[in-house]
Amino acid sequence: MVSPFCWGCLTPLRQTSRTILPSPSTAVSRGPAFHTSAALQFMGRPSQGGKKGSTVLKFRQPAVAAMKKKKKFVEKARPPPVGERKAIRKRIVLSNPNALEVEGLQELSEETMVDSRLRGTALALPVPMLDQLRAVQAFKPKQGWSIFRRPCTVLRRETLELGRFFDNVTGDVERRGAVIKKIVGGARKSGKSVHLLQAMAMGFIKKWVVFTIPEAQELVSATSSYAPLSEENPNLYVQNEATAALLSRTVAANKDVLSGLRVSQNHPTVPAAKPGMTLEDLAKTGAQDQASAWAVFQALWKELTATGPAPGLEKHYTPRPPILVTVDGLGHWMTESQYRNAQFKLIHAHDLVFVRHFLSLLKPGQDQPSLPNGGALLYATSTTNNPPYVYTLDVALKQVAARDAGVEPSSPQFPQPEPYSKTDPRVFEVLESPKSKHAQEGRLQHQILGGVTHDEARGFMEYFARSGLLQETISDGWVSEKWTLAGGGVIGELERIGKRLRVAA
Amino acid sequence: MPPLLNLFAARTAVPALRVSAAAPRVSLSAAASKSHSALSQRRWNSSGSDGKKESEEAQRAATSMPHVSEEAAEVSRIMDKEKRCDGVPSTPELQQGTMVSEILSRDKEAAKHAPKVFQDQIKKAQSGSRSFSTSARRGQLEEQKPSGGDANADASDAAQAAMVQSMIAQVTEQAHAAQHELAPGLKFPAPETLPRTENYRSRYEPLLEQFTKMMMRDGKLGIAEKNMNFILDHLRSSPPPNLNPRRPLLPGGPPAPQLPLNPVKYLTLIIDSVAPIIKNKPMKGFTGGGASVPIPVPLAERQRRRAAIKWILDASDKRRDTKFAQRVANELVAVAEGRSGVWDRRDLVYKVGIQGRALVGAKPRTRSRI
Repeated sequence: MVSPFCWGCLTPLRQTSRTILPSPSTAVSRGPAFHTSAALQFMGRPSQGGKKGSTVLKFRQPAVAAMKKKKKFVEKARPPPVGERKAIRKRIVLSNPNALEVEGLQELSEETMVDSRLRGTALALPVPMLDQLRAVQAFKPKQGWSIFRRPCTVLRRETLELGRFFDNVTGDVERRGAVIKKIVGGARKSGKSVHLLQAMAMGFIKKWVVFTIPEAQELVSATSSYAPLSEENPNLYVQNEATAALLSRTVAANKDVLSGLRVSQNHPTVPAAKPGMTLEDLAKTGAQDQASAWAVFQALWKELTATGPAPGLEKHYTPRPPILVTVDGLGHWMTESQYRNAQFKLIHAHDLVFVRHFLSLLKPGQDQPSLPNGGALLYATSTTNNPPYVYTLDVALKQVAARDAGVEPSSPQFPQPEPYSKTDPRVFEVLESPKSKHAQEGRLQHQILGGVTHDEARGFMEYFARSGLLQETISDGWVSEKWTLAGGGVIGELERIGKRLRVAA
Repeated sequence: MPPLLNLFAARTAVPALRVSAAAPRVSLSAAASKSHSALSQRRWNSSGSDGKKESEEAQRAATSMPHVSEEAAEVSRIMDKEKRCDGVPSTPELQQGTMVSEILSRDKEAAKHAPKVFQDQIKKAQSGSRSFSTSARRGQLEEQKPSGGDANADASDAAQAAMVQSMIAQVTEQAHAAQHELAPGLKFPAPETLPRTENYRSRYEPLLEQFTKMMMRDGKLGIAEKNMNFILDHLRSSPPPNLNPRRPLLPGGPPAPQLPLNPVKYLTLIIDSVAPIIKNKPMKGFTGGGASVPIPVPLAERQRRRAAIKWILDASDKRRDTKFAQRVANELVAVAEGRSGVWDRRDLVYKVGIQGRALVGAKPRTRSRI
């Protein structure tokens, strides 16, 4: 703001002010003119000479009054036992006996999983399968299973598509041996992990072999043991503990299937693998003996992907079932892990053989498809649990989608990373998946889960109402309102709305 | 260029219509020029004949004044255009627009397509009939009374009854129509009154909000809400409470087995059942000697709930469960089943209140210090 006074108005004042102001000597006695607090302290400080009325400081007595210290809060109660908090955090409750039993509830089965008339209804997971699903850690703690009588999932469009694929691969002769490879993406709470769960359930129904990696992060967070693979490959690392855990999961969940299959290949590196022993026993040896876990896993994989017996072992061979592999939280595999090498440099996630094995499946196989007996690879990304920098993965997934849509990598429409951005060439290399030579092997796709439709949302909300949790009249208008509130039918948000109670009318 | 018919002008157009389209319009500037000319005439020319002629001329000029907008353009050309450096004409018409009524009066084609409201008003103004009656109804009734003679008494009574009937029917019909008909300007029926929880600011139940905020520590509402979610889920999934007949919950609620299905109601019932209706306020001056005596003071609903929640949170601190929310949830179930010490705490408050109730309404004997 411009002052209303001009320089000319103020000049006479300036000249006279010198005479009005007190002399510099008096100003010094008051202390510095621009400090008030410091001056007070200066005035009040006892002098060293011990004048009359002032106190003399004792030896090492602080000149400044001591501040009162805050009392430290002492927790009287003992902390809970080690691991209890984590156990509570990770506890999965699948049943609420107070919730009403839904009448006419259908179970997920071979018939219902392909029945498009049931689209939008909630289907219960069969009770005997719950143990298998628990074994492969299909349920996550925050998915809200605990308020219903029994776990159910909604049959949405993507689920039906998946169901039809499972049905075709197992039943249809022409489609036998087909492979789909999908990276499942989508917004937060859009049902990516539950989509994987539904795939696992279908795999169990169709008697596939199901391998799951419920938390991809656990393999790269440096919380389990690791070692160089061998003398020849000092830059590759094996994680025996994690492999043993995978084997024990797989054995527990696929006991029925694996016990019907026998070792029919030669495994010179695994002395425990005797011809004729069941694959269940083979996997169990790896789960129990961590040192041999990786070798056993490789043997098991070789057995499951075999299309015929080794010479001389024909009597042990039976056709192998398709394989389902699910990975949740793919982003953590697309950067450096937390493990360190001998030079104390971070090891890239792709140098861990476990990770490398499952990522190599995304590429088309050379002599035969990567899953020769058919199967599905469903690798889900996460929106809430990601490593700090996933830019490369974002671009690589766009490239995957473009390649799938038929855009040539040389064309200007093909998505490229921003110039000068920090990208990881190994990620591009891993996700670069050209079209396979084999007709049965599908190309890598990026499937984005969006919101459910209005009809599906209505079915979901009706399931809430019939369970006694939602006490509202469900009409099309009401569902439409909630569908909009849920960001266009994002199913996790719909669940939150369904749980929220409104009592006062 | 600004639009010819702007919003400010349109707002003023309708009252102008309502006043009267037929009334002679004397524009401000015309009046000013008239008075000005009269004034100048009075000062410089004292002859009466001259003044008469001048005033006649002014009247004629006033009656055959140019159109308002033309005049405005003229004035502005004189007043404004020469002064402005860029020479852009800026008339009041361009700034304020033209009255819609004027446009309609000079453009018959536009009047035909004018909004119905305008057309109705123009018609009304032309017909000169009011939409309401100014005659008193009582007078009519009194006039009618004597007209019915002794012979026609029954007939007139019947006619009156029929008239009253028809009036009542008309009124009820109108009321009925008002219910079903849309209010003017609405395309769809007006929404019913929304429940309180539909507004996002008050989307949670009052009790839930109060409880959550009392659980909040360090201003971390999100964590408190997470804890509240846990508590509600616990109430939802824990077995129905075994009610203790000595510690009954408030009557009127759902039976115990149905409580977990509505955890909010369950929680409200627990809190309201254990909430004290009084508080004992220590007051001095009743006994003399400066001793303070607890005097019972009634509490409002929110205050009662606050006391109960505080007691429950205090009692839950003494539990040994791992998680805070788990402790509170277990304490709530204990209250519902009558096992909690919170009930004893309330009993104590009531006991002290009964002791002090003789002094309710009494005035202290000594003057309290300010």
